[in-house]
Amino acid sequence: MNYIRQILTIVSKDIAAEIRTKEMLNSMLVFVILIMVIFHFAFGEVFEGVEIAVGILWGAFLFAAVLGLNRIFVHEKDEGCLDGLMLCPTDRAVIYFGKVLSSLIFIFVVQMLALPIFFVFFIKMIPLSNLWLLLLVIILSNVGITSVGTLLSAISINTKARDLMLPILFFPVIIPILIAAVKLTGLIMTASKFSGDILIWLRMLAIYDIIFLLVGFLTFEYVLEE
Amino acid sequence: MQDSPLIRAEGLSKIFGRRKVLQDINFELEKGEFLTIIGPNGAGKTTLIKILATLVLPSSGSVSIDGFDLRKDSVSIRERMGLISHNPLLYGDLTAYENLLFYGRMFGIKDLEARISQLLEKVELGHRKFDVVRTFSRGMQQRLSIARVLLHNPSILLLDEPHSGLDPHATDILDDLLENLKREDRTFIMATHNLEKGLEHATSILILSQGRVVFQGEKRDLDIANLREIYTRFVSE
Repeated sequence: MNYIRQILTIVSKDIAAEIRTKEMLNSMLVFVILIMVIFHFAFGEVFEGVEIAVGILWGAFLFAAVLGLNRIFVHEKDEGCLDGLMLCPTDRAVIYFGKVLSSLIFIFVVQMLALPIFFVFFIKMIPLSNLWLLLLVIILSNVGITSVGTLLSAISINTKARDLMLPILFFPVIIPILIAAVKLTGLIMTASKFSGDILIWLRMLAIYDIIFLLVGFLTFEYVLEE
Repeated sequence: MQDSPLIRAEGLSKIFGRRKVLQDINFELEKGEFLTIIGPNGAGKTTLIKILATLVLPSSGSVSIDGFDLRKDSVSIRERMGLISHNPLLYGDLTAYENLLFYGRMFGIKDLEARISQLLEKVELGHRKFDVVRTFSRGMQQRLSIARVLLHNPSILLLDEPHSGLDPHATDILDDLLENLKREDRTFIMATHNLEKGLEHATSILILSQGRVVFQGEKRDLDIANLREIYTRFVSE
């Protein structure tokens, strides 16, 4: 109970700071919209099919997520507050889960703002009954993205080329999540009902989430240790 | 009443890569004492403070604080200990109140609102409670940092170059605050390269050079002239 209270305290602090500065949300949102606009004009009238569209969607989501994840420890590092957090009487995993949850919220907000633009530009129709599935896929994918991204962000924040280091470390690791997210989104946008294929990919996504969260939970203390 | 010292470090070493930052550090500190660690830049003062603050694990050796082992009981140690660093460890985009609220909640402080108001008055920042910390002067940030540290009423205070970057007026305010805190039965360890400030507050002195303890002594045996002479002799060796 105490851990949950501390995790929520970290999240509410991050949200308060972000509401004041809007550094992370603004940069992520502008970036994701720009990618969609560029691809919309690049493909023009010849654009057809959902496969490419969902590829563009998740590409944009991932690049925007990297922007946000790159900044999730910036205040802690630049203002020395990581030491302040580490001086609190709590397990290091609390810091990890707090930061994962903060990233999850910020990335999800940007995705929800960008999704209508995606539908306007690329996909005119989606079975309405599958909208909840799409949200489930986005949330499950985000858990994987943020659990890996938060851990790697904590590693890269201590390097000189931190802006470059995170994408280099992040993208190779996140490929299984990306594949599952693209496959699932494609299936959801074309299938009229829930199918076995969707279930298989959802299970895969959930398994990766659990693995990545466990790895983050077990290794974060050593990452923070200088 | 405990018989063992409040803080005991035995055979403490820290190695970063191939660099031995601390080597075989031993000292003991009783409750209510004020240990000043003096040394030139790169002597290992900050690393020693970070180890005692549970921010960095030692490569070898052991530390016991209030009966708790640094490796096994770091959470219990953090509940009893506060760190005032040259970096105030405050979020610049949050207000003074929001910073204290955040740290207070992380420490599970009861009756937090009253505690925050009381501490802000103590450090003479009550009138800036809802101002963003980024707008504070360096001295004001350091005073707010003291309020942050005192939130959970720690019995042990670690001070890492607390006077660094402060103007003379802010230094006087910080010294007054430290004098008041010394009357509250707390134990202090301060790292500094300022011999005068170090001696002014100390009950005992430890000089570090190149990661080793080169001198340990009681303040009563020292004045600033012979401390300077001892420091120059050991550090220039």
